[in-house]
Amino acid sequence: MSEANRNETLGQGVGFERIRRITGYLVGTMDKWNDAKRAEERDRVKHGLSTHA
Amino acid sequence: MIQSIIKRDGRVMLYDQNKIAGAILRALENTGEGNAMDAARVANAVQSDLESRLPDQVPTIEMIQDAVERQLMNHGFNATAKSYILYRANRTRAREANTALMKTIDEITNIDARVSDMKRDNANIDGNTAMGSMLQIGSAGAKSYNELYLLRPEHAKAYREGDIHIHDFDFYSLTTTCCQIDIKKLFKGGFSTGHGFLREPNSIQSYAALAAIAIQSNQNDQHGGQSIPNFDYAMADGVAKTYRKAYIRRLWEALEDVLDREDEISSIESLVRSAESASGETVRLENSPAFDQAVSSILAEIHGLTAAQTETLLTRVRKRALRKTERDTFQAMEGFVHNLNTMHSRAGAQTPFSSINYGTDTTPEGRMVIRNVLLALDAGLGHGETCIFPIHIFKVKEGVNYNEGDPNYDLFRLSCKVSAKRLFPNYTFLDAPFNLQYYVPGRPETEVATMGCRTRVMGNVYDPTREIAYSRGNLSFTSINLPRLALESKGDEKVFYEKLQEMMELVAQQLLDRFEIQANKHIYNYPFLMGQGIWLDSDKLTMKDDLREVLKHGTLSIGFIGLAETLTALYGGHHGQSEELQKKGLEILGFMRDYCDRKSQELKMNFSLLGTPAEGLAGRFIRMDQKRYGKIKGVTDREYYTNSFHIPVWYEISVYDKIRLEAPYHALCNAGHISYVELDGDTVRNVEAFESVVRCMHDFGIGYGSINHPVDRDPVCGYVGVIGDVCPRCGRREGENIPAQRIEELKKMYPEMPAFRGIE
Repeated sequence: MSEANRNETLGQGVGFERIRRITGYLVGTMDKWNDAKRAEERDRVKHGLSTHA
Repeated sequence: MIQSIIKRDGRVMLYDQNKIAGAILRALENTGEGNAMDAARVANAVQSDLESRLPDQVPTIEMIQDAVERQLMNHGFNATAKSYILYRANRTRAREANTALMKTIDEITNIDARVSDMKRDNANIDGNTAMGSMLQIGSAGAKSYNELYLLRPEHAKAYREGDIHIHDFDFYSLTTTCCQIDIKKLFKGGFSTGHGFLREPNSIQSYAALAAIAIQSNQNDQHGGQSIPNFDYAMADGVAKTYRKAYIRRLWEALEDVLDREDEISSIESLVRSAESASGETVRLENSPAFDQAVSSILAEIHGLTAAQTETLLTRVRKRALRKTERDTFQAMEGFVHNLNTMHSRAGAQTPFSSINYGTDTTPEGRMVIRNVLLALDAGLGHGETCIFPIHIFKVKEGVNYNEGDPNYDLFRLSCKVSAKRLFPNYTFLDAPFNLQYYVPGRPETEVATMGCRTRVMGNVYDPTREIAYSRGNLSFTSINLPRLALESKGDEKVFYEKLQEMMELVAQQLLDRFEIQANKHIYNYPFLMGQGIWLDSDKLTMKDDLREVLKHGTLSIGFIGLAETLTALYGGHHGQSEELQKKGLEILGFMRDYCDRKSQELKMNFSLLGTPAEGLAGRFIRMDQKRYGKIKGVTDREYYTNSFHIPVWYEISVYDKIRLEAPYHALCNAGHISYVELDGDTVRNVEAFESVVRCMHDFGIGYGSINHPVDRDPVCGYVGVIGDVCPRCGRREGENIPAQRIEELKKMYPEMPAFRGIE
């Protein structure tokens, strides 16, 4: 590895991809979701596997 | 004396009484109340009226029209005055619509989609691209026209004010929603895309490529998603063809080795044909002893091979042909998935919305398709990304794939493993009573298939002999703002039901109006959908026929949103909170379903009830209702109404209870339904838990369900899984950079890590 490469960095400004389901379809990034659906996704709670919540 | 007038745009023009008289005459003729003499008389009166009211002022158009109204009434032309007022109001609305339209186009043109909610109305269209913007501009223009010229005033009002939502309104005058494409039938004898003829495919690779083309072609003829109901059954034909070719080729090579000769290909082809006709069996993946026996005897007879020699040879040939076919099938499935994720359609603005149904074909060829499409889904795209398209739908059926010992049980298990990682497949349950009633073993067209986000088309009152999934689809759907009806009823149940009945009648009429437009189209309006016989019975039409009768195989669906908020507005709580409220919820939807069933019988058309997939709607209705009613706790206090009959997403409830409570609504919503369960990231590592949730759905009679869990990916190191603030693999935060050297080190630990090139 050259000296230049040794100092090189990767990933500046690169976000994480977060795949979510919206009305049945998957969507690759939430950038394109409308405001209401973003709020809905934010509010979703996980469902427990036991028979009592 | 009036000399001039001021036009709407501010320009000053010469006053011309003849123009006023002309306008009055047209109004009088419309109602039959008067003639040119009357018109002249009223026009004179208008001038005096203006001169006396505004002695020193130049009148505006609005002032003149006010005077016309007054003088028509003064002269006793009451009907004319009324229609003149309506005409003015309509013109005003049209002018305002034009201004609004220009403002909308301005927003589409100039505002970044990240800050324009309107441009993010549909999450799979990129409102920032040239073609995406063109699509949105066209859509805005069409909506404006449709509202002003095609809707009855009462429907336009209900739509505008948010009592109802007419879905895909931009396509109101153009086409229908969706169709289940029977590709097995389509491929037989080849087909034309409208841009060239394609021969019947001859290998699994071509089958898969043409399946993608079929989806692309058909989606240009409709506004909704496209689905293949029989992906496994149809692709199996391609696998069989690939296997036959591979078998012949491997037999040829093996024989050349044994005999140490060349140029045996033509004799091998005829050998296989003779063996096929002698045994009555074709070359198949499945071991076919009679066929193998026939090949052995020919080999013994012509080439003098011993029984032991032919047995070794044929075992080897079958093994190699199988290996080749398996590899080709995987590549074909991988190509298909890649194709559907990258292929552009509708003027390049979006990827076709596609779904494929599979899981029940138990032939070795069908099983190979199912296994490999699941493996391709599992592998992801080029950098390991999760595939957004197509939606994979696994059809679950007892005796086929549900229980241990069922022929496709192994594939059901595999599907759980893949879905736990990739969110697909979703599950459709053929054993749910409302699906089982159509199921006939050995007739795959009677297996319920799902389209896009949830659309389901099975029953058929128009033609009860054709209660099948194939070649049919939804024509159009309109949704009711259920919470508003509840708010307007102020807690009075009786009033609520009256309003609901009224609203359903309004929607049914609007759906019929839209059907009237659709029914008058012809084959040539839909060169693929109708021209290639995709839609049921369209192959029986001539160019002269309209589409009225064949379209009646489709459905007209009445949807709704926000059962949870409706119940809260009426009774103070939602159906997740008590059995009593659950009963009330079922009563409301039962009432709506009854209405649809009665309407269907009355008109012999398929009206059905839909648990609407509300993407744009969830916010649109509630914003309007917040303006009207303020923020009411549990009803209008969030940014969205709860989807269809779902228990609210924010409500704490167990998987078991959520499924148990939502299942009965699946039976009522015959136009489509879906239930989601949200699991945490640990499910990825616990396939047993995942499978138990699917089994729970099956056992409670869910029709269609899917399991959500977070699937995140860091493009820099390629990690797929749950990412909180920090990537568990490379340790960077969102947007942060890390040393390239660190990536080099990680590559040694994770050899399958895709190369990151700085852009994704």
